[in-house]
Amino acid sequence: MKSRNVLIVTKKELGGIYAEKTIVFAILLQLFIALFSSFLMVGLTTMYDPNALAGYRGVEYGIGYVGSDGDLYSIIDDRPDLRAYRMDLDPAIASLKERQLQAVVFVPDTPADADEPVLVTLYMLQNDIQSAVVEVKLKEAFLVYEEELRSVRSNRLTLTPIHLEFPETRERSSYFEFVFGLLIPLLVFMPAIISAALIIDLITEEYQAGTLETLLSTTVTYGEMLWGKILACIAIVPIQSAAWLLLLAANGIVVQHPLEILLHVVAGSMILIIIGAFCALHYRERTSAQFIFSTAVVVLIIIAMSFPYNPLNLIVRLSVGTIGSVHWVLLFGLLAFSLLLSLLLTRYAGRISRLPQ
Amino acid sequence: MSVGYIRQILVMARWEFLRTFSTMGRGILPAAIILFLLLVAASGLTAQSGLHIQDGMYQLGTDNAAAGEMIAGDPRFIVYLDSRPSLLNTRDSYDIIILGSEVYVQDTEKGRAAVTSLEQVFEGYSAFINVQEPDLYAAYPLWIDRIYERSTIDFTATQSGQQVSPIPQREAPEPRGDIVPVATPKGTVPYEPDQLRAEISRTAAQDDTISRYSQVIGQESGSGSFRTPNQLSPPLPFDSIILIFVFIFPLYFTSQFFMMSIMNERIERRGEVLLSAPYHPSAIIIGKALPYFVMMVAISLILILISSLPINTILPLIPVIFFFLASALVIGMLARSFKELSFLSIFFSTMATSYLFFPSIFANVHVVSLISPLTLIILEIQGDSFTLMDYLYSTSLFYLTSIILLYAGSVNFTEERLFSLHRLIPRTIEFISAGISKTYPLISVGILGGLVIPFVFMVQLMGLVLFFNLPMPLSLLLLIGYAAVTEEVAKSIGIYALARILPGGLTWRLVIFGSVATALGFLAGEKLLLFATIAQVTESVFGSVMFLSLQLLWMPFLLHAGCLAVVAVALKVGGLRWYIPGIILATIIHAIYNLTVSGVIPL
Repeated sequence: MKSRNVLIVTKKELGGIYAEKTIVFAILLQLFIALFSSFLMVGLTTMYDPNALAGYRGVEYGIGYVGSDGDLYSIIDDRPDLRAYRMDLDPAIASLKERQLQAVVFVPDTPADADEPVLVTLYMLQNDIQSAVVEVKLKEAFLVYEEELRSVRSNRLTLTPIHLEFPETRERSSYFEFVFGLLIPLLVFMPAIISAALIIDLITEEYQAGTLETLLSTTVTYGEMLWGKILACIAIVPIQSAAWLLLLAANGIVVQHPLEILLHVVAGSMILIIIGAFCALHYRERTSAQFIFSTAVVVLIIIAMSFPYNPLNLIVRLSVGTIGSVHWVLLFGLLAFSLLLSLLLTRYAGRISRLPQ
Repeated sequence: MSVGYIRQILVMARWEFLRTFSTMGRGILPAAIILFLLLVAASGLTAQSGLHIQDGMYQLGTDNAAAGEMIAGDPRFIVYLDSRPSLLNTRDSYDIIILGSEVYVQDTEKGRAAVTSLEQVFEGYSAFINVQEPDLYAAYPLWIDRIYERSTIDFTATQSGQQVSPIPQREAPEPRGDIVPVATPKGTVPYEPDQLRAEISRTAAQDDTISRYSQVIGQESGSGSFRTPNQLSPPLPFDSIILIFVFIFPLYFTSQFFMMSIMNERIERRGEVLLSAPYHPSAIIIGKALPYFVMMVAISLILILISSLPINTILPLIPVIFFFLASALVIGMLARSFKELSFLSIFFSTMATSYLFFPSIFANVHVVSLISPLTLIILEIQGDSFTLMDYLYSTSLFYLTSIILLYAGSVNFTEERLFSLHRLIPRTIEFISAGISKTYPLISVGILGGLVIPFVFMVQLMGLVLFFNLPMPLSLLLLIGYAAVTEEVAKSIGIYALARILPGGLTWRLVIFGSVATALGFLAGEKLLLFATIAQVTESVFGSVMFLSLQLLWMPFLLHAGCLAVVAVALKVGGLRWYIPGIILATIIHAIYNLTVSGVIPL
């Protein structure tokens, strides 16, 4: 196999990708998703953790309080963001429906030390963003009240659980875990999957458009053609992943160990691309090859994810800096596996290139 | 539609079916079956061992062995047991340190995230202990019965994305309308303690990251509307993520086969035979699409039956199927090579998926969610059936765009277009110019102006979803700019195509009357669609920015015609190179007008 011929094919394919501006679409796609990052920060974090909604501050919401006097009234009214009004049930519900109140609580006169639970009825509006916000605030009030009731009834408790004293500051963050634990590994790994789909296109097109014979009539051999294409596909992976990491950095999300992450992505992409090449060589027709390949990738990813220290988890650990030099061992293993696969692929390619076309 | 036409469709459908399933079936069936079995096995494996993505994110040091053991149950934490002095010495290498029962947190974003997760772990543990208490109502003394009321005032004010702040009053509010008597709630929980115990254990065990993604659709709570305070959480639907996987991906997948079938006709001019048949192009296209359509409906029905959803869940999926097929047709006809096909289809699928997915997150929270048909499915799962108006509102754009795309496909299903290998953008312009008659250019651009409207709405609604989360003045400004660009680009397509295809370029007559005709078509399309569908959004603050007010017709008309004329003059004077500067200038004018109308810039 002449490396010069391999590089010629690689250059040709990279040129094709550039000329067709297809890579522009890939980058547009990245930009598009990066645009969503503002949305991801607020919207998706909210979805990931509804309590993040409590961040909507600065407004006082009216709560109708129906029923007997109790501690709950002052717990609600003492909050800076809630104001309780003593009312009767019927006008309270009517006001709620007119949006003059954001919620109504009905409190029965169950004594605090009674045998049965205190059952508070909470009326809220359906399909309403304010209800979601108010419910989070009321939840905090209810938790305080629950703790009070529990201490009144503590003589009836029998178990002594582990006790933890959390710091007083209410500063919490849930976006970090979402961004670093889910978004980054998925986004950084996406180029690997795109490239694996690309290798199938490049190989099957030679067969289906009948250009393979022309190509092989030059000095380029079948193996050189194959590896030239694979090289082109691998080459664009780190570029796209690095673009991702830069975009994230521009959004203020700085990832640790970027070089190591790129190495892992390249190693993972080699395995996926070689599997894609196997599918393409076997079927020599895009629809079937893509179908089998994408199903195989889903299976592969699901299996990989059910083991600790899988490539996605390694990217997470690297990006937050909680892994030592263990990852080099795993990277080496991954590279050895892809080397084994590439040897198998070369043998397979050698066999089919001798078959009558 | 004549009998002959239907017969043509059926013949095409039969051949398509035979070709696809006989040639492909034999090759991939064994591999597909093996992979399917592997998939089932793999999902079983994951269900057993959980997803290990976030393992080892946080480092925690403690001298409290019992607490360390409890926390180590969550794989997100790497727990180190050490003595108090050495922990204090190395405290910078931990996100959290627990000394005795005191929790100390690193003052970083990661530290805050770690303590949030730790609180979740601790809550789960407390629930696990509390639920074993013999006296359940001592451990859980407070129960909340959550009842939802329907508002008598509709979405418009509070739902427009802004926070309408109720000015706190000293006195309790007086209802203005009728007071309807409400039944006094009962003071007892109608469940046995054991039932409640089981439910608390279930939700506590479920409160981890994996369950957010793997929750079974529509799982009903075992204790009805009764919750402990800890179980309260706003009803944000996590189902929509699962819905994407369950419904949208298989549909998208199947549409790929259709895309490929169209592409295959173009390789080596194979479709020549097809074109020489005495069949109408639209019959060929519909016939080729029919097997895939039937297959997609069948797949959806099977999925609906498996997840035991009501059968009319299929209704919101039909327009999605149409839309996927229509886009597959156009992408299959536009792409020059396989890799272009792949990138186009990945790009399209991301767009379509976001359009379907992001709004549906807000299914119970905001009216914007209704622009996605998936929201209807979520409502259906929750047991709130959707109305005919809801259906029209969220699906009409899908139906309209699909019809227009199918029309564009069948007009261009000719030898000249199918087998040419021009670049993507010139090809797209060629496709559009097929709809422009050189003899009646004015009427053509007018109709084109009306036809782009559904696409403009889709793109603008996408922007609405994107921006409505941002703080108020910023989101409004961004939306104004975004809406202006979209409309200007969409309007100018006809004029641009004319400038390209006419031998002598644009004439001054075309510049003036072309702008007028396009503006007329655009305005007519806009108003028609507005009245029919999205009145709900238009009444909100954002709506008034995007879709100019309904009362005054001559002002928006002058705006549309004027801005387009700016682009047309740029094209006439400077040639095609001046298109982009023209668009920018028109956008600025448009945005200033919108700012004035919405009262940001005083007159």
